[in-house]
Amino acid sequence: MTVTQPPSHDARERTPPRIALSLTINAMRYEIEISPSATLLDVIRDQLGLTGTKKGCDMGGCGACTVLVAGRRVVSCLALAASFDDAVVTTIEGVGTADHLHPLQAAFIRHDALQCGYCTSGQILSGIALLSENPGSIAEIREGMSGNLCRCGAHPSIVAAIAEVAGL
Amino acid sequence: MSGPSFHYIEATRLDDALAQGARHGATYVAGGTDFLQLWKTGLAAPKTVIDICRLPLAEISYAGDTLSLGALSRLSDVAAHPDVKIHHPLIADAILASASGQLRNMATLGGNLLQRTRCPYFRSAGLACNKRAPGSGCGARDGENRHAALFGTSSGCVATHASDLAVALAALDAEIVVASAAGERRLRLPDLYLLPAPTTAPDSSLADGDVITAISIHDACRFAPRSTYLKIRDRASFEFAVVSVAAALQIEDGVITAARLAAGGVAPLPWRLHGSEAALVGRAPGKAAFAAAGDLAIEGATPLAKNAFKIPLLRSAVIRALQTIGGVS
Amino acid sequence: MNAHSHARYEALLKVTGQARFEGEIAPAGLLHATLIEAPIACGELVSVDAVEAPTRPGFATLVTHDDSASLKSSAATTLIRETAIHFHGQPVALVAASTLAEAHDAARAVRIATAARPAVTQMDQALGAAIAPEMVGRFPAATRRGDVATALGEAELVIRNRYSTQVNNHHPMEPHVVVCWWEGPKAVVHTSTQAIFATRATIAQAFDMPPRNIRVLARFLGGGFGCKGQLWWPWMFWAMLASRKTGRPVRLELSRAQMFTLVGRRQQTEQDLALGFANGRLTAITHDVVAQTSAHTDYSDSTAVYSRLLYACPNVSTTHRLVRTNEPQPVPMRAPGTAPGTFALESAMDEAAERLGLDPLDLRVKNFADHDQETGRPWSSNSLLSCYRVGAERFGWADRQKRKKRDGRWTIGFGMATTLYPAIRQACRARVRLNGDASLVVQCGTQDMGSGTYTALGQIAADALGIPMAKVTVELGDTWLPDGPFSGGSQVTASIFPAVQSATAQLRAMLASMAASDANGPLGGKTSDDLDFEGELIRSRSSNAAERLSDVLARTAPDGLVAEGESAATDHPKLAATGMGHGAVFVEIGVDSALGEIRVRRVCAAFAAGRILNPLLARSQYVGGLIGGIGMALHEQTLTDRATGCILGKSFADYLIPVHADMPEFDIAMIEEDDPHLPGSVKGIGMLGSAGIQAAIASAVHDAIGKRIRHLPIRIEDCLGPACDTAQR
Repeated sequence: MTVTQPPSHDARERTPPRIALSLTINAMRYEIEISPSATLLDVIRDQLGLTGTKKGCDMGGCGACTVLVAGRRVVSCLALAASFDDAVVTTIEGVGTADHLHPLQAAFIRHDALQCGYCTSGQILSGIALLSENPGSIAEIREGMSGNLCRCGAHPSIVAAIAEVAGL
Repeated sequence: MSGPSFHYIEATRLDDALAQGARHGATYVAGGTDFLQLWKTGLAAPKTVIDICRLPLAEISYAGDTLSLGALSRLSDVAAHPDVKIHHPLIADAILASASGQLRNMATLGGNLLQRTRCPYFRSAGLACNKRAPGSGCGARDGENRHAALFGTSSGCVATHASDLAVALAALDAEIVVASAAGERRLRLPDLYLLPAPTTAPDSSLADGDVITAISIHDACRFAPRSTYLKIRDRASFEFAVVSVAAALQIEDGVITAARLAAGGVAPLPWRLHGSEAALVGRAPGKAAFAAAGDLAIEGATPLAKNAFKIPLLRSAVIRALQTIGGVS
Repeated sequence: MNAHSHARYEALLKVTGQARFEGEIAPAGLLHATLIEAPIACGELVSVDAVEAPTRPGFATLVTHDDSASLKSSAATTLIRETAIHFHGQPVALVAASTLAEAHDAARAVRIATAARPAVTQMDQALGAAIAPEMVGRFPAATRRGDVATALGEAELVIRNRYSTQVNNHHPMEPHVVVCWWEGPKAVVHTSTQAIFATRATIAQAFDMPPRNIRVLARFLGGGFGCKGQLWWPWMFWAMLASRKTGRPVRLELSRAQMFTLVGRRQQTEQDLALGFANGRLTAITHDVVAQTSAHTDYSDSTAVYSRLLYACPNVSTTHRLVRTNEPQPVPMRAPGTAPGTFALESAMDEAAERLGLDPLDLRVKNFADHDQETGRPWSSNSLLSCYRVGAERFGWADRQKRKKRDGRWTIGFGMATTLYPAIRQACRARVRLNGDASLVVQCGTQDMGSGTYTALGQIAADALGIPMAKVTVELGDTWLPDGPFSGGSQVTASIFPAVQSATAQLRAMLASMAASDANGPLGGKTSDDLDFEGELIRSRSSNAAERLSDVLARTAPDGLVAEGESAATDHPKLAATGMGHGAVFVEIGVDSALGEIRVRRVCAAFAAGRILNPLLARSQYVGGLIGGIGMALHEQTLTDRATGCILGKSFADYLIPVHADMPEFDIAMIEEDDPHLPGSVKGIGMLGSAGIQAAIASAVHDAIGKRIRHLPIRIEDCLGPACDTAQR
């Protein structure tokens, strides 16, 4: 017989105190308390309800949770939120609105660069960060976007949308 | 299932970090990209996390043919730094072949060198793995071992080291600067890592509380014109190496005067190919010399049931890398 | 019906992050649940000791098999009612707590005792115990026509090989999730399912409650590919039981690792295939499939079914057998049956062409089946020959051998193959409401898992009534809507088309009669067959007379009009013709044989699948399917540890799917078909891209380096040739 062994340490020790965190997300300032083990994704998606940021694998392998921190793309599922005190974060909700789409969002619609839409927020944020690195070719866009998986198979349209905005 | 939550301490001074880090149950976190994967799968369960990412250890400088890289530099910053691109393109190549754009923005140099193996037996809580649970055995040796090592294995561990950067640094004879409460010490990169024993397989020679503060590379910019990082993988990007080779040559008057070769994906640590290097020095670059280097690269390789293909692959990769930088086709 | 590349209906919501997926519903007091998994592959759950868990902060409830005793027995409740453990990682309890972290903490405090029995952890351990199912889906598992043995004996050429395919997992980007709660006797279930009505029916049965008391919602679905169906139900039930026990809403989301074990897989196959030829024509086919199924439920893809009908051949024998292993349960996945089946058949056809000295394309044309030889029925329509011709032209197939065979380090190879998928329909209903302002609401309780259902549904209705898409609202994914089809088998658009068509026909008749009945109106006295609907007008065909829809409505039906339509399911026994979509796939690959690397460079595919409603979205579907096929061909493989039965490498770092850098150039040709047997000439398209391409890639590898690879995935070790010092440079 196999018996799984629960950890034996004292239950009272098990809940470390919450800690204070300041974040600026999409130009809005948040002063919150978080669990020390919370990821930036947990905070954004669950605690603050900004559900445009998706949890696809929670292990950094799919890019669905991509957000920008100070303009640089990161996978928020592997970002320990506590490390990001005072960070300036952009999520899909801060990229553009229905009335004022970011050019890349508009290009995504034109190229039908999405199907189920679950990877789309991450693709767009990753694409925006990549555009700021001035990709010089389609191959560079493909390589640069390879941290964002898509299972429906929208890749060629995603790359076409980014290429269009990049003027390639 | 994730491990229990932990106390979080942000370190602002190195000496504070060193004092805290030596305590039982403490672990350092910098970029967090490997730590959080381990914690979420229950493989790491520290009581306290000491966040060192804001320590002032992210400086990159180049002077007198010594490149010094702060250990908390992010991979993407290192790859984009002009001194790295110009004087040590091999490092930039290896970094840009690693992970994804997002992860390179997060991961630090020190954390990359200390990332834990991707062996699926290590990464699955409950399976036999001497590295994770000393004495539990090695599930990979007689199990699924396509990914496993060819060199430096023991009866109790066949895991490979996953870092691309480490392979490039090994080829460049990088030196690691380690701080501890007892002071600072320097080690050659390969000495950072340990080979597995029969029933245990610790990754590194670092003691609890040690912090890698910097990586320095001396007298290696002569390789800048002829260096390459060749990474072979099943898909075109965002995958750990099946086999990789860092290669650098110095050629003067049609003769190889210095050669550096290291391989990844084939050993528990970046595997320096000294025999191949020796076979190249003093010879004219070309088919014969490169083939000799390739042959020597695989000497002593011990395959398992599903990774024997890595032997001809490593040989080919060494030859290809040398062809790429050897100025002959 | 007019084809139009309208932008995806819900694209604006998706690019702005405003599309609310069901797991993002956040009712007050929500509890978070996690599953505790068995650490053995075969045996019995002995006990669940939860003395300590309730003392943990935030703990709300524990749900075990004991709680499932209140559920009715059915296939959907077996795993949660019976304590037998059939595979490693099978859930044995659910813990709910205030936060997910607290649920994990409490779950770690639960002590599970299990008694292990010897497990069959891989197919080869139990080949001798293979069983023969009667049916594979809706097809008989074993068939025989003609005299195969004699024909093979007399054949001028026999190609006989074993082909094998590995386990794949679906991995939609959105993990399975449920947010559920009870309102007295009623249940509200927000969940990522490909089948809201089947989910409702199964809940009704398990919880012994009337379906009207259950509301299931799946308005956005982050992909499915076959795994968001029945295997999710037991774990969803446990979340519902947790909610019932606590009186609070409960959320359960699977981890990516659990999506390797709990929600299905494409089964592993070993296929023995023999083709006999005389004068370049097929005289015999035998196709015998052995595939993995779980220890607790038999499932077989229709892998050999397509060898019965793709080519003309008088003597055909096919069988399917299953090996039960203590591994996760297989279910249909993206081109079920056709993907592994065509890999074998089309690879063998390529090999035959080589041996016969024929072009692989010519061999296929020569063996074209002009009717369905298995049933004797005609095809409802079949433009496969056009697919071959158009695809070959656009690809440049005929002069491929004149092209350079090297490009830098790459040795170039070319290959082609055929794909097909049945065109079938489910029974369903749809409702169309025309508002007084001539805006339109189309409602159907189906799902859009990314395949474009919102857009297709809106377009069909808008087109029938001459209303622009901008004035159309589409409502899906809610069991308060009319019964819709499940999202699977490439059936949704074909299924809803007749229902929407029927509803809009009723509205047209009402509107025509209203317009014509007003003697003073511009269309007074016109007959309904003279009236057409276009540009928000009702227009006379015989004169210039026209009236705005909104005027007709204001005058006669200011509150608008509603109509419902129905579709009938395909009645297989009574079919007059076999409906099938087809395609021809041409690929160019590069192999670096010194390093074993293989990359697809160019894909040209011509598909014929009835009439295409929206070429923009259809192209997305085709390309997406082809990319899924590339994954199966070159990357995807789920491994089981032989010693323990544990699935290895349960992450995207280990289970590789194609990334952007793997993408070739795609050229898609769509060949329109009029199909007198199918309403609106609509056939499904979603599956077509995901079959055929595997064999095309394998054939291209052979063309490049001369090696026949008869297993998938094809990887570095398969393509490694001599070291590059000896290769020609």
